[in-house]
Amino acid sequence: MKNLVRYFFLTIAAFFILAPFLYAATVSFETAAEAATFPPQFIPSSFYTDSYRKAIATAPIFHFILNSFIVALLVTVGQVVTCSLAAFAFAFLEFPYKKLLFALFLSTMMIPWESTIIPNYFTIRSLEWLDTYQGLAVPFFASAFGTFLLRQYFQTLPREIFEAARMDGCGHFRFFITMVLPLSRPALATLAVYAFLTTYNQYLWPLLITNTDNMRTVQIGLAMLQWDQGISWNTTMAGIVLVSLPTVLLLLLGQKQLVRGLTAGSTKG
Amino acid sequence: MTKKFLKKFIVFATLIMTVFAISGCGTKTEPAAENKPVKIVFWYAVGGKVGEATKTLVDEFNASHPDIQVEAVFQGDYDSAINKLKQSIPSKGTPNVMQVYDIGTRFMIDSKAVVPVQKWIDQEKFDMSTYEPNILAYYTVDNKLYSMPFNTSTPILYYNKTMFKEAGLDPETPPKTFEDVTTAAQKLTSRDANGTVTRPGLSMAIYGWFFEQFLAEQNAPYTNNGNGRDSLTTAVSFNSPQGEKTLTWWSGMVKEGTASNMGRKTADTLKAFIAGQTAMTIDSTGNLGDIMDGVNGKFDVGTGFMPHPADAKDGGVIIGGASLWMLAGHSDPEEKASWEFIKFMTAAKQQAFWHIKTGYFPVTKAAYDDPDLKKYEEKYPQFKVAIEQLHNTPINRNTQGGLLGVFTQSRQEIESAIEQVLNGQSTPHDALQKAADTVNGAIERYNQTTK
Repeated sequence: MKNLVRYFFLTIAAFFILAPFLYAATVSFETAAEAATFPPQFIPSSFYTDSYRKAIATAPIFHFILNSFIVALLVTVGQVVTCSLAAFAFAFLEFPYKKLLFALFLSTMMIPWESTIIPNYFTIRSLEWLDTYQGLAVPFFASAFGTFLLRQYFQTLPREIFEAARMDGCGHFRFFITMVLPLSRPALATLAVYAFLTTYNQYLWPLLITNTDNMRTVQIGLAMLQWDQGISWNTTMAGIVLVSLPTVLLLLLGQKQLVRGLTAGSTKG
Repeated sequence: MTKKFLKKFIVFATLIMTVFAISGCGTKTEPAAENKPVKIVFWYAVGGKVGEATKTLVDEFNASHPDIQVEAVFQGDYDSAINKLKQSIPSKGTPNVMQVYDIGTRFMIDSKAVVPVQKWIDQEKFDMSTYEPNILAYYTVDNKLYSMPFNTSTPILYYNKTMFKEAGLDPETPPKTFEDVTTAAQKLTSRDANGTVTRPGLSMAIYGWFFEQFLAEQNAPYTNNGNGRDSLTTAVSFNSPQGEKTLTWWSGMVKEGTASNMGRKTADTLKAFIAGQTAMTIDSTGNLGDIMDGVNGKFDVGTGFMPHPADAKDGGVIIGGASLWMLAGHSDPEEKASWEFIKFMTAAKQQAFWHIKTGYFPVTKAAYDDPDLKKYEEKYPQFKVAIEQLHNTPINRNTQGGLLGVFTQSRQEIESAIEQVLNGQSTPHDALQKAADTVNGAIERYNQTTK
């Protein structure tokens, strides 16, 4: 009985959270005329799939999804590797000016990405990385935020483990791989999800450094469905549903892993 | 002394010769590439059905011109595209041809990275007589046609004929003046028992473009120095009695409740019009197709000229949209290929297709002879009004439209000014003055950097 009540409220909460996505999905199956009616129609009169056909014809969405996926994956791996290593140094190692260096590291978070976009563009251009995956991904391999997040988490790990490991003659790298990383699964998962989604949704950088449909990413695909004087909502929504499906699938497939990681951390930590 | 000088001279001369030899005297003789097509890059900035139509035209061009290969690249919306161009000018990565919006004209000229299409028109003695003079006028600066008009639109008044009938108005005579619109809107507004407005007579988006049109309708300039066309703009002049008149009229209706303020997006007012939430709206001719599809026979759609104050004379509309620019710094064969491409995109047959697919004006009158276009005109007689409106517009400095290097910013300032007036936070005079001050500062900075 208690469960029933719980599920009831959870369903309502889920409905509120999912409402925008549900509405997007509904509109994507409506005709242009239906999408423009007022009050809005929440149930399409027929299962109209033409908007999907149109969206795919206007922009090579599947190719863009693949590109975004590759780039987001590269960035995720890159950030988890660099951030965890940097965070390890800041959390466990002792070296001169550690505090100052960390503050300096954090201060880079204050520099807006937009102000570094031009120098970055020129760097990538002189490396001849325009229109390449590495050009899209490498500038995002390091992240001050990610380092901060992981360092804070690493500091919650009991220091005794570190000392015990040192006593038994365990080197830094072995300790990092066999102890720190497995214990930090929830923090790593958080960073991974965050890095993946941010990269997947990038617009300005990919637009700037790519010039062929072969290398473009999903947000540009969505821009391709609109123009300055009008938007056909059903086609745009069809594009949005297609573009968000992979991330939803990823969540469904990775949910178990993610939840296990989160709970494992919380009981042991 | 003379010997020393001679020696120096010889060294200097050899140096110059070497430089010339290395650079190939500027005109590299291309190896005769007969079977290899010339590749040119075209940046465009429209998506949706307009982007589709652009791609179709490019494909047609490539199929019919085996010696030229055009690579069409989408570069986001107009603003993103022009920002990307700003990056690519110093790094010499500019495209051969680019679609730039109307208000980017001054910036493009000042960038000094363009080749005026006039160069090729003169060189080939290309016949421009079929092109619409009103449209050419916008892109003609210092008697030179800088870019070739491509997608062109003007705003028109859309109204719901069925609601006109219900309100006792003549559905065949749309309101022509500000005063007419006010009285029509009063009759068209419906209220519930408490007097709350359930449906306003007019809904107009807060869009700087419309404000520019209302100035031109009153034959008033947007900037000084002949709208920036006699010499470089040094200050705006939209803070004029005509500008104030426009805002007083507009905000008066909003205050009465006969016009509603739905924000800055025309997509919202368009949706409201289609859904029967408002009896009149102002929108681009480019949206006629969407409106007709959306309405789908639920009511009769009428179109009318942009309204103007009853005492205004010699005014008209300014064209909007975008044009095709040729960028400098490319080889002669590439420039020639770009010119061929531009000619193709604006020729009668292509413009007829373009008009039918997108609702933009054909830039050449020759397109009106196209049989498909005639069929389209029968289907949408509403478009005739737009063509008449364009042809009724006298060409003068004010209807040619203002030239301003910081037009994008100016539009935003105007939109904030309108917003403040409609919300009752400021008077038309104060709001326009404030906007003018901000924009004038920006103009000063812009003019300093481009000199």
